Amino acid sequence: MPNNNVIVSLRDVVAGYLTTGKGWRSLFKHVNVVLKNVNLRICDGERVTIIGESGSGKTTLLKVILGLLKPVRGEVKVLDKEIYKLPWGERVSVLRQVGYVPQDPYKALNPKLRVKTIISEPLEHMSIKPREIEERVYEVIKMVQLSNKVLDKYPNELSGGMMQRVLIARSIIHDPEILILDEPTSALDVSIQAQIIELINSIHKRLELAILAVTHDLGVAQYLSDRAIILYKGSIVEEGYIDEVITRPRHEYTNLLIASYQVFK
Amino acid sequence: MVLAVRARNLRVGYVDEDENILWAVKGVSFEVNQGEVFCLVGESGCGKSTIGNTIIGILPPYAVTDGELHVFGKPVVRGNHRDYSGIRGRIVSYVPQNPGTSLNPYQTIGTQLYYVLNSVYGWDKKKSLEVAKKYLSLVELDPEETVDRYPHELSGGMQQRAAIAIALSTGAKIVVADEPTSALDAHLRLQLIKLLMKLKESESLTLVMITHDLVAAGKICDSVAVVYAGEILEKCSGSNVIVEPLHPYTQMLADAVPLLGFKRRLKSIPGEPPRPDEEVTGCVFAPRCHLAFEKCVEPPPHFKVYKGEVACWRYAGNAKQ
Amino acid sequence: MSAVISDSRKSPNSSVKGLYQNLTRRYLRRTKFKIGLVITLVVLVLALVSPWVVPYPDEGAGYVPPEASQREKEPPSLRFFFGTDTRGRDLFSRVIMGVRSAVIQITTVISLSLLIGLLAGVLAAYFKGVVEIILNYLVELFISIPAVIIALVLRLALGPGLMTVIASLVTTWWSWYARITYVYARSVMEMDYVTLARLSGLSPLKIMTRHVMRNVLTPVLVQAVTDMGSVLLEASTINFLGLGLPLNSPEWGVIMLEGLSVLEIAPWISAYPGFFLLVTALGFSLVGDTLREEIDPRLRRRWRLWF
Repeated sequence: MPNNNVIVSLRDVVAGYLTTGKGWRSLFKHVNVVLKNVNLRICDGERVTIIGESGSGKTTLLKVILGLLKPVRGEVKVLDKEIYKLPWGERVSVLRQVGYVPQDPYKALNPKLRVKTIISEPLEHMSIKPREIEERVYEVIKMVQLSNKVLDKYPNELSGGMMQRVLIARSIIHDPEILILDEPTSALDVSIQAQIIELINSIHKRLELAILAVTHDLGVAQYLSDRAIILYKGSIVEEGYIDEVITRPRHEYTNLLIASYQVFK
Repeated sequence: MVLAVRARNLRVGYVDEDENILWAVKGVSFEVNQGEVFCLVGESGCGKSTIGNTIIGILPPYAVTDGELHVFGKPVVRGNHRDYSGIRGRIVSYVPQNPGTSLNPYQTIGTQLYYVLNSVYGWDKKKSLEVAKKYLSLVELDPEETVDRYPHELSGGMQQRAAIAIALSTGAKIVVADEPTSALDAHLRLQLIKLLMKLKESESLTLVMITHDLVAAGKICDSVAVVYAGEILEKCSGSNVIVEPLHPYTQMLADAVPLLGFKRRLKSIPGEPPRPDEEVTGCVFAPRCHLAFEKCVEPPPHFKVYKGEVACWRYAGNAKQ
Repeated sequence: MSAVISDSRKSPNSSVKGLYQNLTRRYLRRTKFKIGLVITLVVLVLALVSPWVVPYPDEGAGYVPPEASQREKEPPSLRFFFGTDTRGRDLFSRVIMGVRSAVIQITTVISLSLLIGLLAGVLAAYFKGVVEIILNYLVELFISIPAVIIALVLRLALGPGLMTVIASLVTTWWSWYARITYVYARSVMEMDYVTLARLSGLSPLKIMTRHVMRNVLTPVLVQAVTDMGSVLLEASTINFLGLGLPLNSPEWGVIMLEGLSVLEIAPWISAYPGFFLLVTALGFSLVGDTLREEIDPRLRRRWRLWF
């Protein structure tokens, strides 16, 4: 099923944040480099996870891919278009092929809006008739295994698992080519994590889109990916098919991750 | 052996704005022996943190209690009357979940330790500093360096250790740790657990650990209590809780955790736990239990089984109550 | 076993209507709110109907009837409940009709300040960069200037009158709301739902209204209600200093000014309007305070022991 269409590609990307230095250096702003020479490619239909702990640069990497942070160097292409060479308006039209599920559902849902409005937002100025929008909303709600009753509720009336599903629904309603999820299971209880993992995989099959998930949990990565990329202090230290990475790790950091996970098994 | 903590039919609830009582903990009984590691395991909202807070003595003024709780023989909770004098901060100490918010950002670690030692023992700055350094090295932090550092200058793992040092410096016999590893990265988690084990040995601490990680609990705890919707469903020894879980819920929890290198089918538990204000009749887990049968419409008593205790009708046959 | 069934999830505090329902249900029990609400309602009703309720409406409006000169500075009596003022007019009528002036001043000042402040705050938080810098500079500037000083300047420029009072107050108060809005709006801008909206291609206007404004409005509005008392006091001060409305106006600050020169012999002239000022400001404060407790879930907890 994965074909060779490249959805996202990063070449020699170096990225970071502007900060002022200490002492005399405060006269100049310099870049605090967080990502060093990142190269990655995600093809159509693939499931890739980026495994990194706090401080690894995974948040920065996501921002770069989502068009929110221009790298200092390097080329970022989404669907074969270099998004940072485009003005914001055009960049957004390219990024519309991307679905994004942020990490914290409490910050990702506007508490003043009903679920229906939240989910249908991406379709708003795509010149689609209101009735069609409604149909898609029903379709997508069903796909995430929520009942229609949820549509009229406000976010504070939902549980953590339900909020996560609403976010996923919103992210697929405009039929993207790739779904990017930031720590999709970290805020959830163990018993619900499994449900969400299953949901993501079923969406992957049904909609035939690529999946990019960022997580710190090796166990979750195992279930969510075909390929895994291990990020450590801003560099990719290991890459490969997930089963191989777990059984035959090459880098010592990977070993460390596996060891910490397994001591409890 | 002296019982460090003893709870009999403990109930803890909160009064909301409409004067209704929402019971977060609905009648739990357990015992913690001195010098053991006791885990309260459960998912979010099950009431384990509330039980922890009740042991420590930090329930808010709008909490109501019922039943009994004894700490080293002293009754701290009797009915709705709570008396923690001499216990809170002296016998029982607390390591909160998020190290970042439990340390005072405006004081150095040394100063914070000084305040604690001064209030417990009345020592002056010089003596307190000496003792403080001793505790810091106990938690494997460099005493000279750390004493002058502010919390934000320390990494998450170091902050957590500092918090443990402060908790220990009160001379407490019981340390309640609320999800001590949740805020940490995987390899830091491992280090912290090892530290806690070491401390348990060297200081003969009684450790009450609150966690949602069933597997970690199984590995390091002497005894485990599985909490669900305010009730204890199962009590057993640590090693058994993974290997031979008694209650269906525990089994399902164990099945839901991803294992590395072993890609079995992840089984999730359908539905969600009941909210505290939902009325529950019968076994509290029955609506989600795939092994429920007719008897489950009645709340099950606790059956003592040879490996522990379980609140499930399936064990009615082979046990005495 | 459990005492309960109240589904706390059923209360939608996500809407103003929900807020009202919460309030009426729970807070009508609170004495604080009851007192504040009663005062506020009385004030509002009086503002509407005062001319038809007072015994001497013309005198209340400022007109001096010919026979008034005989009854100057009379102490309170059955005929003149609050006594008469320096020109012999019924003080009671003047003070009661002063409610209308108070309400007009407050509502105009607060609405205008809110409008400008909200706009400025949201724009600065959304566009950042230069807009942000300019706004912060302006806010720092205007927030530190006392309204009275501005009133002095405007008095020279615009002369006496309602405009002067309103303009002076709006010039300072807008910056207060701008700052509050800006702070809240900035934290809203950090929210992922704003990022999602931007990535979905929503126009800045849409994002600002649907996401930022909506989440910023409630706390700012609550602040505004609490501020009503202070605005009233500031407005009356400006009038009291003779910088706003002219003498003989049915306004509490003005009446107090008139009574100042005869404070020893006819203290009631300044006392009654002063008292009304206090009570009205207090009423607004109490309502605003209770509203704020409702909004801030942390404050809301069981401090009923204290009230």
